[in-house]
Amino acid sequence: MIADAANDHHATPATTLSQASAGCQLRISQLEGKACKRLRELGFCEEMEICKLSDGRNMICSVCGTRMALSRKLGDQVMVEMV
Amino acid sequence: METIALVGNPNSGKTTLFNALTGANQKTGNYAGVTVSRVSGTLRTPHGNKYELLDLPGCYSLSPNSPDERITRDVLLGDQEGAERPSAVVCVVDASNLERHLYLVTQIVDLGLPIVVALNKVDLAEKQGIRVNVDLLSEELGLPVVPCQANKGKGVVDLKHAIRQPFPHIPNRTWQGDKATEKAIVDLTSELETTGLEQPQAHAIHLLADVAYRTEEQPGIDRGVRQTAMDAADVAIRSGTAPDENISQSRTRRVQEICKMAARRQDTQGLTTSDKIDQILLHPVLGWVFFATSMMVVFWTIFSLAEYPMGWVEAGIDFVKNTVVGGMPEGDVKDLVSDGIIDGVGSVVIFLPQILLLLFFIGLMETTGYMSRAAFLMDNLMSKVGLSGKAFLPLLSSYACAIPGIMATRTMDSAKQRLLTIMIAPWMSCTARLPVYALLIGMLLAGYGAMVQALVLAGLYVLGTSTALLAAWLLAPRVKGSEEQTHFMMELPSYTVPDFKFIFRHLIERAWSFLAKAGTIILGISIILWALKTYPKPEEGTPAASDAGLALEQSYMGQIGHAIEPVVKPLGYDWRTGTALVAAFAAREVFNTSLAISYSVDEEEFEDEDSFLDQLRAKMNAATWEDGTPIYTPLTTMSLLVFFVYALQCLPTTAVVRRETGSWKWALGQLGAMSAFAWLAAFLVFQVGSLFV
Repeated sequence: MIADAANDHHATPATTLSQASAGCQLRISQLEGKACKRLRELGFCEEMEICKLSDGRNMICSVCGTRMALSRKLGDQVMVEMV
Repeated sequence: METIALVGNPNSGKTTLFNALTGANQKTGNYAGVTVSRVSGTLRTPHGNKYELLDLPGCYSLSPNSPDERITRDVLLGDQEGAERPSAVVCVVDASNLERHLYLVTQIVDLGLPIVVALNKVDLAEKQGIRVNVDLLSEELGLPVVPCQANKGKGVVDLKHAIRQPFPHIPNRTWQGDKATEKAIVDLTSELETTGLEQPQAHAIHLLADVAYRTEEQPGIDRGVRQTAMDAADVAIRSGTAPDENISQSRTRRVQEICKMAARRQDTQGLTTSDKIDQILLHPVLGWVFFATSMMVVFWTIFSLAEYPMGWVEAGIDFVKNTVVGGMPEGDVKDLVSDGIIDGVGSVVIFLPQILLLLFFIGLMETTGYMSRAAFLMDNLMSKVGLSGKAFLPLLSSYACAIPGIMATRTMDSAKQRLLTIMIAPWMSCTARLPVYALLIGMLLAGYGAMVQALVLAGLYVLGTSTALLAAWLLAPRVKGSEEQTHFMMELPSYTVPDFKFIFRHLIERAWSFLAKAGTIILGISIILWALKTYPKPEEGTPAASDAGLALEQSYMGQIGHAIEPVVKPLGYDWRTGTALVAAFAAREVFNTSLAISYSVDEEEFEDEDSFLDQLRAKMNAATWEDGTPIYTPLTTMSLLVFFVYALQCLPTTAVVRRETGSWKWALGQLGAMSAFAWLAAFLVFQVGSLFV
């Protein structure tokens, strides 16, 4: 079972921004959801490297040197992978 | 005169650049939403050309999420009724944030207007190790790019040179959509050409790029055009492409390409100074400790430190009074000048230092970047009552004055939350309440120190704020409006050294505006109140002729007061307080003026060193009911304080609510509900309190 879980983890290396740990350097792999157009306008776009600075109900991310605070629901729409 | 629009993302330094270009003193702040409506000034280029420069509200894109962003889009597309489309655009881009800010540039390029990019904050970009190749950036965008540092005035002359006529060529579109999207743009453009719509291609792209623009009612776009756009979008969608998604992705891709070529960002893995500060100030526990402590310091300062400048103002009023009235013969004119004008206006002007201190601290929060952090902290609390943290900024602004606070709700994306915020904003204790609070707290807690008085003052702010939040929670399910899903999303700008130049300039403006109000509205009401108190004069030989108190009761003010008394007596107030409350309906500050005028009739003389305020407080404390019991007991004072926390008593606010909600129903409903609530709360405080005292 542990092996299966490990395989699953390898099969889906991308996770959502909400699930990622604070302090991680991440790369946005995909935007999925209703707010993705707005997220793009704010600088969250595919291939962009971001750093998740803090977690919580609202998280803070560093995007191009600017801190953006966004809710977990928005974070759920940002698929990321570890850099 | 031709018009040039100044646009850019929030925090890109637009308003600072606007001030540098026009020499104006437009308010700037280090958080989104400071400019909530279009502001214009005159720009003169070194070639002698004169333009009207429009400072438009900051926006992340031309697909608006809030009313202020809609203003920017409508002006640029020429959709705003009664406003000419600008002749050119200056687009402000933060050089340290190129990847994020160029998205808006790509949208503005599509509008078919001459554009100059002001590449602002180049110094900050250099500090962050970002090297921007300005020539390459200009080449890739196909338009002039001028590096500048607006806060130091660097590059401003170059920018003015770039704006000279003839304007730069209209740039070509920088991105390429997929086949279906491109076909939809071409088809829709040719369709729109036949309708006679101006800028058919700009409108075609925007109609396809923004679902809301083509599906919702727009003032500048008729139903037929929208239907044509919807048909064109449907054709593209049937062939497998949602044009809005495709256009958004194509623009993003193009921005990334340009940035890869024109900007080099050094890898900076470490935390910046702002990140490190945020680790403390946004800490779930330490953040709140800092927030609460700083608020306490603000209130303590207002009561302790303000005493000195208040003393100076008071000395100034005394000097004016002695100089002006000293040589005047006894009579009505002397009374009018002394009691009506100088005491009436003086009773408000004396609080100027406290108001300015509060505004100074709000200015500090704005210019250091802490304001948006406070909103971040408050989001958790506000979400519990159905509001977003974004409502915090308008509500905090309302502590200075409800009018800019209500206008700041234009930055909110949810119409329902915006309405809720407008409804509760006047319960944030604005600076106009400070004179009343200070007078009454000083009376209630005369023997206590500044710290206790500051705690009570803070308590009044907490009372207003917590009731406002409770009201929001109760109103949220009752306010009509779609339960649209809103998400908290906010830029937290880097911390900066406070801009004292801006703060002091703003304070001077506010002081001037306060003094202008004291010199007009309050002066006018003071004179009217004095006349109501003085006339009709008692006839010679009647008891009232030798008894000032009786004369006041027989005056028009006395007659009005006695008519009002049944309404205010259950709250513990006599007719004089009732008259003052009615006078304060136009503006709260007039309450002190009215009391100063009413109580100056007492025959007591204060020839000692007592201050003006102490004299007024002493006269109020000495006032008695007919049975000899004091009118102003601690309970009456508390009841009055509670009344002032809750009553709206500001007609300009009602006018602004009418404008912002577009309905008298909301504006008058708010006025009526808040007045009734204030009466009920004061009634409960006095009546329930009377059971125990």
